Amino acid sequence: MRLRASQLTKEFGHRAIVENVTFSVQPGEVVTIFGPNGAGKTTLIKILATLLKPTSGDLEIEGTDAIADFSDVRSALGVVIHEMLAYPMFSPYENLKFFGQMYGVKQLEARATTLLAEVGLQRFIHEPLHIFSRGMTQRFMIARALLHSPSVLLFDEPFSGLDASAQQFVLRRVAEEQQNGKGIVITTHNTELGYLVGTRFFFMIDGRLEEIARKDEITAETLLLMYEARLAL
Amino acid sequence: MKALRQIGTLVRKDLALQFRSKETLVLIFVFSVLVVLIFAFAFGPIFPERAERCKLAASVLWTAFVFAGIIILNRSFVVERSHSALHGIRLTGVDASNLYLSKVVSNVVSLLLLEIVITPIALQFLDLLNGVTVGVVLKLIGVLSMGTLGFCAVGVLLAVMSTSTSGGESLLSVILLPVVVPIIIGGAKCTVPLLVTGGVDNWFWLNLLIGCSLVFLASAYLLAGAVIEE
Repeated sequence: MRLRASQLTKEFGHRAIVENVTFSVQPGEVVTIFGPNGAGKTTLIKILATLLKPTSGDLEIEGTDAIADFSDVRSALGVVIHEMLAYPMFSPYENLKFFGQMYGVKQLEARATTLLAEVGLQRFIHEPLHIFSRGMTQRFMIARALLHSPSVLLFDEPFSGLDASAQQFVLRRVAEEQQNGKGIVITTHNTELGYLVGTRFFFMIDGRLEEIARKDEITAETLLLMYEARLAL
Repeated sequence: MKALRQIGTLVRKDLALQFRSKETLVLIFVFSVLVVLIFAFAFGPIFPERAERCKLAASVLWTAFVFAGIIILNRSFVVERSHSALHGIRLTGVDASNLYLSKVVSNVVSLLLLEIVITPIALQFLDLLNGVTVGVVLKLIGVLSMGTLGFCAVGVLLAVMSTSTSGGESLLSVILLPVVVPIIIGGAKCTVPLLVTGGVDNWFWLNLLIGCSLVFLASAYLLAGAVIEE
């Protein structure tokens, strides 16, 4: 099992932003979590990424207790969140080189160049990140998340702000990583793209996670109707 | 070995970022020169005696370094916070204590370079440069290094906390200055006899400076994990 979350709860003050979340991710599985703004998706991703400590609950990543031994599991995680997680004054190549050295990536220069070419940034590898558009930054962030070949990928709203070609790129890339046996968690409020990319679907509303179906059990139209019905409640 | 490699990588990255941000470098340099000039013009003419001007020089130098140091510490963490690069570093699995040590090293290097540039300027403006020998310069660098280490040791820890709050840049000055008072006093008290006689006349102040710096470094190192991860 790549990831197992059990009864995860995160409270800010007396308000539970994430409430008793339980789910697991197997190798080669893409878990898509749909939810509106403010549902707690980003908080959940940050907890899974060990960037935020849950108020209660357990989290295992690759069989290790990720709450007690967070340093040990972090190198197994590839994370894309709303923030860049990098230095805008550096170029994508400099950033990948720096983070690659921190991870101890072998043959780093070749790996960084190849990854940047794969995400379509080969013409911009020496340009500073602060001049990049949203789509280019997202491509860089995916390269950064894949740099150290993590076994678990956590993508928070990977499609937001992207044009159609960049969205297709994310879909292709996630499918490739799924084929490689990675466990992937994606949050989105876009049911169409979320259905295309996922293999198992959850709704997250008001901090609570509800499993809906596997891909072979539900059509995109039914998923959309169910999602709209849940939001209307 | 892995820890040393990671610390080295982090220090190189910090220095590259600091030297690439030319506006910040110019700002810190101009700010320090202005502090020196204000003191030199305001108090220089009042003290015709060399010994008096040495006391003034010690105060001017430590005042300039403390305020420039606060800017350097703030900038060092604003860069990490602005696009959550600090989260990116945490995700590499680096030990928070090693991250803390790398920040101390890079800030000490930056501040020491500034001190090496500003000290001769201050001494020149206070007409003290003629009497300063190579031996005095080396001893002065030793005292400044120890003071800078203690200042950055506690400053990095408090900067981690202050820059995570709104208005953190002003907050750092308020919480850091009272804590580093022993270092400022010890440093200034050691600097005066160095400039006047070329030696240390009272070992208490040097012991205070070294003791405080090492205690600050050790305690901040132990606390760094909890502070950075929270």
